[in-house]
Amino acid sequence: MLLRLPASLHYPITVTELLKQPNDNVERCAPLFSYSYETQVTEGDNLGNTWQAKKKYPTRFESSVEGVLINWKIDEGAVISKPNVDIAEIEEPCAHSVQFGGMCVTCGKDMSESSYVTEHLDSTRATINMVHNNVSLTISENEAARADDEAKRRLLASRKLSLVVDLDQTIIQATVDPTVADWQKDEHNPNHDAVKDVRAFLLKDDGPGNRGCWYYIKLRPGLTDFLENVSKIYELHIYTMGTRAYAKNIADIIDPEHRIFGDRILSRDESGSSTAKNLQRLFPVDTKMVVIIDDRGDVWKWSPNLIKVTPYDFFVGIGDINSSFLPKKPGPKPSQKAMAIAAPKPRDDQTEAATEEEPQPKINGNANEETETPSTEESEAPATNNVSALEQLVAMGGSDDPATRQAQTTRQDEALAAQLEDRPLLQKQKQLEAEDAATESTAAKEDGDSGNASPSSDDPGDSDKPKHNLLRDYDRELFQLEESLHKVHTEFYDIYYRQLSAAQGGRLGQLRGGQKRKLPSEKSDLDLVPDIKIVLPSVKSKVLAGVAIVFSGVVPLGVDVGSTDSAILARSFGARIEENVSRSTTHVVAARNRTLKVRKAIKRGKGRIKIVNPQWLTDSINRWSKVDERPYFLDTEGKNGPQEDDDDILSESESPSASESGEETDNSSRLSKPTLTLETKPNHSQVDPDESDVEDIALSELDVDEASPVGGTNEDWSGMNDELAEFLGSDAEDSDGDSVASGDTNGSSALGMRGKKRGRDENDSGGESEDGGAGKVKKKQAVGNGLTSLSQTTLAELDGEENEKNGHDKEAGVEAAENGEKEGEGENEDGDGWSEFEDELERELEKDGSEDHGEG
Amino acid sequence: MYFLHDMERTITLHPSFFGPRVKEYIRGRLMEDVEGTCTGQFYIICVMDTDTQDFSEGRVVPGSAVAEYTVHYRAVVWRPFKGETVDAIVSSVNREGIFADVGPLPTFVSKHMIPSDIKWDPNATPPQFTDNGDQVIEKGTHLRIKIMGTRSDVGSMFAIGSIKEDFLGTL
Repeated sequence: MLLRLPASLHYPITVTELLKQPNDNVERCAPLFSYSYETQVTEGDNLGNTWQAKKKYPTRFESSVEGVLINWKIDEGAVISKPNVDIAEIEEPCAHSVQFGGMCVTCGKDMSESSYVTEHLDSTRATINMVHNNVSLTISENEAARADDEAKRRLLASRKLSLVVDLDQTIIQATVDPTVADWQKDEHNPNHDAVKDVRAFLLKDDGPGNRGCWYYIKLRPGLTDFLENVSKIYELHIYTMGTRAYAKNIADIIDPEHRIFGDRILSRDESGSSTAKNLQRLFPVDTKMVVIIDDRGDVWKWSPNLIKVTPYDFFVGIGDINSSFLPKKPGPKPSQKAMAIAAPKPRDDQTEAATEEEPQPKINGNANEETETPSTEESEAPATNNVSALEQLVAMGGSDDPATRQAQTTRQDEALAAQLEDRPLLQKQKQLEAEDAATESTAAKEDGDSGNASPSSDDPGDSDKPKHNLLRDYDRELFQLEESLHKVHTEFYDIYYRQLSAAQGGRLGQLRGGQKRKLPSEKSDLDLVPDIKIVLPSVKSKVLAGVAIVFSGVVPLGVDVGSTDSAILARSFGARIEENVSRSTTHVVAARNRTLKVRKAIKRGKGRIKIVNPQWLTDSINRWSKVDERPYFLDTEGKNGPQEDDDDILSESESPSASESGEETDNSSRLSKPTLTLETKPNHSQVDPDESDVEDIALSELDVDEASPVGGTNEDWSGMNDELAEFLGSDAEDSDGDSVASGDTNGSSALGMRGKKRGRDENDSGGESEDGGAGKVKKKQAVGNGLTSLSQTTLAELDGEENEKNGHDKEAGVEAAENGEKEGEGENEDGDGWSEFEDELERELEKDGSEDHGEG
Repeated sequence: MYFLHDMERTITLHPSFFGPRVKEYIRGRLMEDVEGTCTGQFYIICVMDTDTQDFSEGRVVPGSAVAEYTVHYRAVVWRPFKGETVDAIVSSVNREGIFADVGPLPTFVSKHMIPSDIKWDPNATPPQFTDNGDQVIEKGTHLRIKIMGTRSDVGSMFAIGSIKEDFLGTL
């Protein structure tokens, strides 16, 4: 070990004599050399006079380590003016590079001893936890690097990679709800089928009162095969936030012979952090060959090694029982509660999107219906805490407060106790049954959905089963995951062998045939190993390469689109996320079919822009391939209807931020509209601080685009018209509960006339008259709740569409106008028709505003 | 090494236990509190002579209703010494060495303290140390270990051991 001068000496010092010679034994605290230093001291005489004097003092430097002196790095007589100068090299008998419980495992010395010469405790020499199951064994960096090299060689030789596997909600789901046991025993229970293969174990010192607690474990479908197959190309490690005992029990269940995971289990007890998972804990040196699968990306800080898995949500509403240690997922989500009430639809859609693990494409019409069954709204009460994982993750972003571990443990205990006590599954089943009874009279179609009605993420698969069981078992995630893992593995080793052969002499070497050149050196062959952090993202980014996505109605209002879970994921798969529909946009991922952006995409996309439901994105990401969009196309035909309802929806969903005053401002701004030119408005709206809705932003863009010559040819227009007509034709299917305000009928007729006779009248009048009432009611509610949509309204102004937001009455008219002029192709031409149009809008707006006011 | 050790402990009793069976209760409490614990120097294995234990008079703690009893008792204690040879059961193995439990004492045998012919084999299932002969060290194997050092923290002890000597190793 190289000795250095500490900072504590009185510099400059002059070395006067070297007291030890090379090959001498040096004990701890033995003097190594003597030196002298000068300092100012105060001297005095008997008369009370004092003065400053410079004095020189001799002293000795003592060794802080023991061993054999190899050589000196300084000479006698040298003057050293600063610390950290090398003085001598001493070979220690033991480097203390592996320590156990504060002892060096080689020499048995206590590493925490310190004395007056100690500069660094010996325990700081080995700080890295290398072993999964024990925190008291620490090793030094050198030792860790050596171990790592060894491990890498072993993996390369067997053509494997490391795979870190999360347990909860990734490959299993656990609950302590004793209802599961009851259902298992009761063969007549509708859930019996689903739970009959649920495994259970008793954890003694866990749970409330330390009486022990039964855990029920549901394995993700296909798990056994998955582990079996994956373990051939990966070395698997468990990394869970559960306790050690829990992890062990799970491992016993999923890997009874311990062939797959062996002892490579890391639990909360050894993790070192209770809020995050850290790859460095397992792979301190480098993580080039490590892949992670986990259902939560945030705990890994979205590490590039991560393959995010759709959370396995078999026990509906239970979630991850060990998550109280992780950054909290929002339970009832206080901040979004209001929105939940006001905007049931977007939320539901999202829930579906996030929780539906079934790869089978959903039928569009079905999706719409699901969201629109009355029961959805009725049971919307935000009672249960299971929101979509997507939203949870989104909302969780900032909530990583450093609560004490004790508090977390308590919380966990409480959560378990609550689960034992409340039997959430039983409650849900009861609720389900009650709802069934209630909806029995309604169309058979609807009953599946009523099951879904509970805001907890029930599966949409409900609809196809006649019997109403809460739990179902259709998850296919692991099969896709296995494929993905295969892909990564193949890609990794392709690159590796390519680089290896290149390094072995490149083309020349290959031509020479079998004559292989020697590898440059042992070390450098490890340097050739590609980095999974590069390989994995590159594999992923091919999936959606060239896709430019605009989200519409998917992201909760007030959330930055770019930072949401789905956006991050989509981006990691190579998609580009755009805020607004633009020329480069290829896909609009929309949860609802009449959002502004969707309309815009239809208008401007001319079939180029594919409008799909969020399930398309989810499935593409899950399968790691750009799945065929066709089954996912949004039912855009509904769009032509009395639409602009989305504005309605918007205002509802936005409502938390809205207020009476908001409404007022909107009115006023609307009034001033005539003076504003279209071009200026966009800016205006963008500046608006309230502007939280993504869709609104789209509006501004729309305006801008309008002036652009894109797609302005007549042919295009006629084509568009045809398309629209087609859409319109199927309007009837489109059930938009959202919106339509009263008075639509009039509007619609107007629309019909103006709107180039698209045959929408029938649809409009039909759909609207039915829906109108509901829409109005909703709207009133929103206003009554003090939720108005300031931002929206501002946006709305931009277009002629404002009307929609406020009064649907005009909507139709406006819409028609819009369709006729803008949608229809009016990109360049907002000449005369426009002014006339505007006037009309004006009038309507005024009327509207006053109406709204009254309502509010 | 095992010792008979005389010790003393103060037990506080809630008034609800005052009564004819108070001694029995104190004895129960003593066993519960003391047996199987680690003082940092040694492990208390077993409390002896429970009938002849010497209880002090109970003394009510001023300001509260609980009573303090001082109990003198004798216990079998186990203290591991450096250089002592003990038997252990392997709890896990990894490339750095072997974790083994000597009764309550967690012990680690470093790879430097393992005979050089016994090598780490990470590819075996489960991973093990083996000389490719009859010596296989994996989880559950019985080992004879020589303790090379011990260290105590508050309420816990650690030891490191060696099997690199004659007559040590698998049993």
